[in-house]
Amino acid sequence: MTILKVSNLNKKIGKKEILKDVSFEINEGEILAFIGPNGAGKTTTIKCILGLQKMTSGTITINGYDIKKDFVKAIAKVGCIVESPDVYMYLTGLENLKLQASLYKNITEEEIYRVIKLVGLESRINDKVSKYSLGMRQRLGIAISLLNNPNLLILDEPTNGLDPEGIKDLRELLVMLAKQKVGILISSHNLSELESFCNKVCIIQKGVLIKESTIANLKQVNNSKYIIKLNSTKNIKNFLNSEDKIQDEHYVEVIKSEEEIAEFINLLVKNNLKIYEVKKEDLTLEEAFINIAGGQNV
Amino acid sequence: MFNLIKTEFIKILKKKSFLIVTFIFILYALLTNIIYQNINNIDDVSIINTEELRNENALLDLNNPEDLKAYIANLKTIEILKYEKEYSHNTQKYLISHYLEPVISEYLEAEYITKDPELMQKLELDKNQILDLIKKENWEYFVNQNITTYEAKLTQDLDDQTKTRYENLLALEKYRLTNQIPYDEDNYLHNALDYIKTDITEYYNLKNAQNLTKEEQDRYKYISSQMQLNKYILENKVDLNNNANLRAVLKNFASEFGLFILIYVIMIAGSIVSEEFNKGTVKFLLTKPYKRNTILTSKLLTVLLFIPLIMLMMILIELILGGMIFGFSSLKVPIIIYSAGILKSYNIFKYLILSLLTTLPMYLILGLIAFAISTLMASTSAAVTVSFLIYLIGNVIANLALAYKFKLFKVLVFLHWDLSYLLNKEPSPYGFSLSESIFVLAIYSIIILCLTYAYFNKKDVKNV
Repeated sequence: MTILKVSNLNKKIGKKEILKDVSFEINEGEILAFIGPNGAGKTTTIKCILGLQKMTSGTITINGYDIKKDFVKAIAKVGCIVESPDVYMYLTGLENLKLQASLYKNITEEEIYRVIKLVGLESRINDKVSKYSLGMRQRLGIAISLLNNPNLLILDEPTNGLDPEGIKDLRELLVMLAKQKVGILISSHNLSELESFCNKVCIIQKGVLIKESTIANLKQVNNSKYIIKLNSTKNIKNFLNSEDKIQDEHYVEVIKSEEEIAEFINLLVKNNLKIYEVKKEDLTLEEAFINIAGGQNV
Repeated sequence: MFNLIKTEFIKILKKKSFLIVTFIFILYALLTNIIYQNINNIDDVSIINTEELRNENALLDLNNPEDLKAYIANLKTIEILKYEKEYSHNTQKYLISHYLEPVISEYLEAEYITKDPELMQKLELDKNQILDLIKKENWEYFVNQNITTYEAKLTQDLDDQTKTRYENLLALEKYRLTNQIPYDEDNYLHNALDYIKTDITEYYNLKNAQNLTKEEQDRYKYISSQMQLNKYILENKVDLNNNANLRAVLKNFASEFGLFILIYVIMIAGSIVSEEFNKGTVKFLLTKPYKRNTILTSKLLTVLLFIPLIMLMMILIELILGGMIFGFSSLKVPIIIYSAGILKSYNIFKYLILSLLTTLPMYLILGLIAFAISTLMASTSAAVTVSFLIYLIGNVIANLALAYKFKLFKVLVFLHWDLSYLLNKEPSPYGFSLSESIFVLAIYSIIILCLTYAYFNKKDVKNV
């Protein structure tokens, strides 16, 4: 079942187009990685979904409710952290949770303690938030976003400030929630952290959604990484593309399709270079992303 | 909606700025009470120095009539000061200045101007007799003397006005005697008697005079109100003019502590929206299942509810502090308002509530302005500063409007938001009717609110 459907989302501020025809979907149990460099429009997209910013055109439905027409119903089963977990610093963690919980109907005390346990904040929950580290505030933010038992969870850079242990906990929590049919939208700079548990990825650049695909698809982009050992890499620069790299005086790293690598080797041979070794490697998610983004020539 | 308002109040009450202002208010209220407590003990410090007067006299030329007058006056003062030092009770001081002083004056005149030894001898006897009475604090003697004088006057053939005046004076002296009121300035009944006695001649003169000037009319109005009030004090034996009690602080509550109400209102109204935007907490708030209108309305209602609640809190704090310092007995004494020749009695709490209600429109409008700027500019400091400046400018324009009458002034909200004239049952100082004022206040409120709601509904939460 589709939980979130974004279609033809456009956002203009003045004459500047921030988002151009962004469309994607999240189904229940899916974890979508939302990837893009700074200023690409990730946070703006998230804010449009949550009604924090008004869209110029397009439609967004959550659980079948249009957020423009039925905002209250659409947002009722959504949990979120946007940009950073901004809570009331002069209140304790527990006071913050109680305050946020009182804005939903029928959230019991047990429910509050359940989410505290879920994010592992039991020992510090009665401290003022002003004494928390960013990682602890991130945990508190996640607890707040889980208060209303959401079936759509939107997390903007949730790994910021978390230590490796915290990231591992978050990953386990998100996988568990996905198993309970929660749809999750998660944006992050650190792609390697998402790679292991996301099952779908959206790449956005300069307000345009470049690619929406599953992780498996993304990894099967035609191009692969080839590491070539040569007698010398001194004069090779002219033959390389922007995403190719010279590792040292013997090794060079290129990203090409099978056809291209054949031609490339041919070219090297014609230029009297000696090829000792050609090794093919799978692209990581990050490399695939950079390759696609680079291919757009932006 | 109820939950939203509840959370807003939790946020306000837990804020450091609120706690700090409350702490300062408690200190301020404490000091104010202490000042009221000592209000009667602040004496006019006598800076007349006997030595200086003597030196001055040594330089005067006694052949010059002007100088001679000054010489006599100085001698008189020196003598009076001597007696006042010797007989220092309130009653004695009063008797010295009211009964001994004329005799001394006469004596000195006889000595230096008319040079009449016989008169001097007679006056010397009088002086000694009076001094003896003063020593014994025998004030009843003087009362009886006055009674005899007035009764004698009343047997003469007098015009109606003079007759009434003497009858009144006689009644005052009899009242003093039957109620055993010494000439003691710490006794409020004495003060009332003395006031009436001092001003009664002027009162009757003004009352019967024709073609009074504007100043004389104002003076007559003032004296008649004071006459009535003092009569009320005598008839009901209530200490209306005492400022060293809890009742007096509460009576002046709106003016003594109004600035704190203003600070509270502007501080809360000016930060309630902007702070959520500045601190980013608005993102959690706006993603709760409420319409934006509902969220803004709950914040607006919080501000509107906060104003009377903060007034109540301040009254409670003052009651506790004032009660500890003064006790509560003065609260039984009513507040008397004189208007159009009629005295109206209010319970102190009723008066306090009414006096705060008449200032409420100002706090409401300033609160709305702070709330609107807080929403439109998302800046707490701008909201607080601008609203405070509007308050100051409003005061200046209100003063200006007393002097100059422009038609344009009618649309200025500053001239309409202070309704305290209603409390004294007077007309507006600017000649506006109450319904005109309410209309202007309503128009301003509606415009401010429409702008705020329209803007808030469209507002984007900007990316950091």
